[in-house]
Amino acid sequence: MKDSHRDNAEQNHQYGCPVCLTLNDMSHARCRTCNRHLHLINSKSLQHTVALLVTSILLYIPANLLPIMYTNWLGQKTASTIMGGVISLWEPGTYPIAVVIFVASILVPIGKILALSWLCISVTIKKSDSRRINVELYRLTELIGRWSMVDVFAVAILAALIQMGQIMSVYPGAAALAFAGMVITTMLAAMTFDPRLMWANQPHIFIKEK
Amino acid sequence: MKHTSVMTQEPGSTIACHECDLLISLPELEHGQTASCPRCNHLLTRRFLGAQNRMLALAISSLIFLAFSLTFPFMSFTSQGKEFVISFSDTIISMMLMDYFSIAMLLFFTTLLIPAFCLLSLIYVLISLQRKHFLPYTHQVLHLVFILVDWNMAEIFLVAVLVSFIKVSSLATVTLGLSFWSYVLFIICLVASLSLLDRYQIWRKVKLHER
Repeated sequence: MKDSHRDNAEQNHQYGCPVCLTLNDMSHARCRTCNRHLHLINSKSLQHTVALLVTSILLYIPANLLPIMYTNWLGQKTASTIMGGVISLWEPGTYPIAVVIFVASILVPIGKILALSWLCISVTIKKSDSRRINVELYRLTELIGRWSMVDVFAVAILAALIQMGQIMSVYPGAAALAFAGMVITTMLAAMTFDPRLMWANQPHIFIKEK
Repeated sequence: MKHTSVMTQEPGSTIACHECDLLISLPELEHGQTASCPRCNHLLTRRFLGAQNRMLALAISSLIFLAFSLTFPFMSFTSQGKEFVISFSDTIISMMLMDYFSIAMLLFFTTLLIPAFCLLSLIYVLISLQRKHFLPYTHQVLHLVFILVDWNMAEIFLVAVLVSFIKVSSLATVTLGLSFWSYVLFIICLVASLSLLDRYQIWRKVKLHER
């Protein structure tokens, strides 16, 4: 594929507005169509992503160790963690739900954290031979991030629905909070990651202009 | 649907690819055509026939279904002869009563306020585009739509309802109420409406309208 260093907006001292896609001159502080504040590709974007990513990893620990739900069943109070919930659902008849919960609350968050960490690393070490995979990875992370919230919402619905005092009642646990925080921080991390960083370090872009 | 990989040298409006920053001259698209970046294959824009009217119709019906889903029972639960009925807002209220205010706010914002606000703003912008002069704050409102649309989690709430439905159905009889079906229709219309929303096309309309 033919693309010279001239083809990138940044090399032409232009900037595409992320909201309305209007091409602006780099000297402009605000977009000429939608008046959005413009900021250029910089290392700060990566710093924000890494900071949010570290926060989400820290939140992921209590989210898995603390109980996400307390069930009161005929006077007996039992606490269940996320993994415990998946295991208790792993019975004939409820396999599909166990799989949904496992994918949404365990596989997706871990995958997302790993994918974002890998993207941050590969952008920093300017590794461009895995770009194709990285681009797909980035798109996938943006697409699936929100879906981890299923477990938190399900706990909220169960807690509202099952309130029969001593016979049977469900209460949310502290892990719901940590888990919600983790999902939000990973979403923010994916949003702050600038995908143009993956393309900014092409070898031929560094060809000096005459 | 035809798919054109855009050549970089064609005349037309120039934009920078949102993902890889490549400068691309976009030609005027035909109805039903799609443009994607020749370098990173990122979907740049799609043009649909009558997108504005369809979006407006779907957004209005979506809002009506949302209003309906707030008034009727959402789910009911029968155990040992007693019936418990909850409405949509009960999930938020009960979280608040259990001292999980932040989860209550998260639910309130992501499943109710943000989708409703996005729909209202979209209707406002689309009506504004059909008038001779823009209604006040059209740009700002459209700008907000694009910021907030990423935080809409209404469809995730729907999956959570189904998950908890199956969890409880092994213990007691659970029935899904009228509100639930209305919420399903709300999400279908919402997703259909938002899928027609295209950054490039709508901002181009706004720019052309200003001239």
